[in-house]
Amino acid sequence: MRRVKSYMTVVLMMTAVLLPVSCARTEKAADREFSNTPQGNFLALWTIMDEHYCFFDLKRERLGVDWNEVRARYAPSITDKISAQALFEVLCNMIGELRDGHVNLTSSYDYGRNWSWKTDYPANYSKDIQDSYLGIDYKIGGNGYYYRILDDNIGYFVVESFDDMMSSSRINAMLNHMALCNGIIIDIRNNGGGLVLASQMLASHFTEKTVTTGYSRYKTGPGHNDFSKPYANEISPADKDLRWIKPVVVLVNRGCFSSANDFACSMKALDGVVLLGDTTGGGGGLPMSSELPNGWVVRFSSAPSFDAEMHHIEFGIAPDIRVDMKDEDIAAGRDTYIEEARRYINDKIVNP
Amino acid sequence: MTDSFRCSDIKGILATFIFAVLPLSLKGQNNVWNLPGYRETVRVGSVGLGTVNSRDTYLSQSTYSGFLVAGETDTWTGYKPYRLFSYGRTHSALQIGLLNNSLGGGETMSASGSFHWSGMWHAVETGSYDLLLGPAAMTELAVLYNVQNSNNPVDVTGYIGAGICVDNTVRFSVFHRPIAVQATFHMPLAGVGFAPDYDMPYWYIYQYGEYGKVLHFINPFNNPAFTQQVDLIVPVRSNRLRIGYTFDYQGNRLGGHKRHLGMGYFTLGYVMRFETKDWGRVR
Repeated sequence: MRRVKSYMTVVLMMTAVLLPVSCARTEKAADREFSNTPQGNFLALWTIMDEHYCFFDLKRERLGVDWNEVRARYAPSITDKISAQALFEVLCNMIGELRDGHVNLTSSYDYGRNWSWKTDYPANYSKDIQDSYLGIDYKIGGNGYYYRILDDNIGYFVVESFDDMMSSSRINAMLNHMALCNGIIIDIRNNGGGLVLASQMLASHFTEKTVTTGYSRYKTGPGHNDFSKPYANEISPADKDLRWIKPVVVLVNRGCFSSANDFACSMKALDGVVLLGDTTGGGGGLPMSSELPNGWVVRFSSAPSFDAEMHHIEFGIAPDIRVDMKDEDIAAGRDTYIEEARRYINDKIVNP
Repeated sequence: MTDSFRCSDIKGILATFIFAVLPLSLKGQNNVWNLPGYRETVRVGSVGLGTVNSRDTYLSQSTYSGFLVAGETDTWTGYKPYRLFSYGRTHSALQIGLLNNSLGGGETMSASGSFHWSGMWHAVETGSYDLLLGPAAMTELAVLYNVQNSNNPVDVTGYIGAGICVDNTVRFSVFHRPIAVQATFHMPLAGVGFAPDYDMPYWYIYQYGEYGKVLHFINPFNNPAFTQQVDLIVPVRSNRLRIGYTFDYQGNRLGGHKRHLGMGYFTLGYVMRFETKDWGRVR
């Protein structure tokens, strides 16, 4: 009898100890999960976007996109027997309705995107012509950062990408190299973005005072209008580094996206800086990523950015001086943008 | 239901069955596991290997699972007669895991650390059974790094809380060999948790000083968490080894997201007994 009691004691103790493990399942079941079926993946993508994408009201206003209507329109295309490739195409088409370069779907065999922000407009850019201005003896300030001094004593600085930071010491070296120039042309055409920090750091070398260049918000809930208060984005002068106070012309086209768009927005708010060219491509939402049940990764704009007047910059920044590349210039190997910028700076020297 | 939950259930049933059929007997106190007396400290250092299961909707809608390695220390200190509590127990653990989604992709790394301190009294004390109860202060931190998320790759959550600790020890013998089974359960009941506010980028926290937006009051409903250890202490010559299974669950529904990190792992440890020179110092 005593032995039986001993067994019972141990069994009861073990059961009591293991009970909380079973309770954990109840917690798990309460979570919403989507099935790894065509319908499940479709619903997961639609819901992730519905709860986290930040530009629904703007896209409805500007593009007439009704996200519920989009779901109703695409849902019939999803059948049990749809192939993975066909499903990918349908899902890409669905999110492509938002015409947002920060909205992508990634699978092992393709990268779904809508680049109409760039492809629907004139390029206003020729790599060969740009290279002819840089020549072969240009200096390299980092990955994607190239510069030289043009014949009329104007600095020419190409920023191909903000994927990497240009360190302060390298920016100082560049500004020191151009110290005697009459002005600087910063060419960010076809710069698809990268690190916001890199663009802000560069901009901080072109101001003598702290300037509020824009605002940003983030989503605080799943509702389309659940946003935080606006947070001011300020560019403060790089106090311990060289700062440029002579004329600056930033060359922009429709290929300027994301961080390059942010750079254009920041520079436009600074004194002595003008934007020349075409409206930028936009990309005014800080992106985040999530994942579908089948492992495909979805990226979406999550935190909207605004300019200093609280206007969305998702559809780009308008230039101060509107310029298009001329066919005759292209034929002659001339870059209309660079030539207009040189003219502007030279005029500024004569008529400050 | 996930693999790790299924796994832990099967292990639990198996353990219960084994203890039920073994020819064991409860006898008087054996010396395989004794609580520390005044100015004594007992410490167990363990290493572990097991499975981890996670879902964090800040990073992904998918559930991830994988393997982990762990290190643990458990320390009991006898406080009589000067302290409020009879015994102090600290549990600290560090677990590092490598996880994949159900398709074998989407590599994610997890790292979690915890520190529990509990002051305990004897609720039941017989020659063969000890039940210790007491309040506990605990802190846990979990970091998930999702390799394929380029813009929001990391999510960090954690809490500092107060809760309970229950510690059972049964001493018996199998084939005249003294053995002790110890089961310990920690659970936070209230405290402060850390998690970003819905889709808040982490750099908002330091750039705009929005610390208030990432702190949340926690309770067992919005921050279900517990640590459960079942250990077998066996003598090997003059040494004491501890073979155990730990299940550590950290979940929360803070900031509009749902997260859990469930870790189950087997441990192997070594029991050390020290004489305490001064509080906190051993020799």
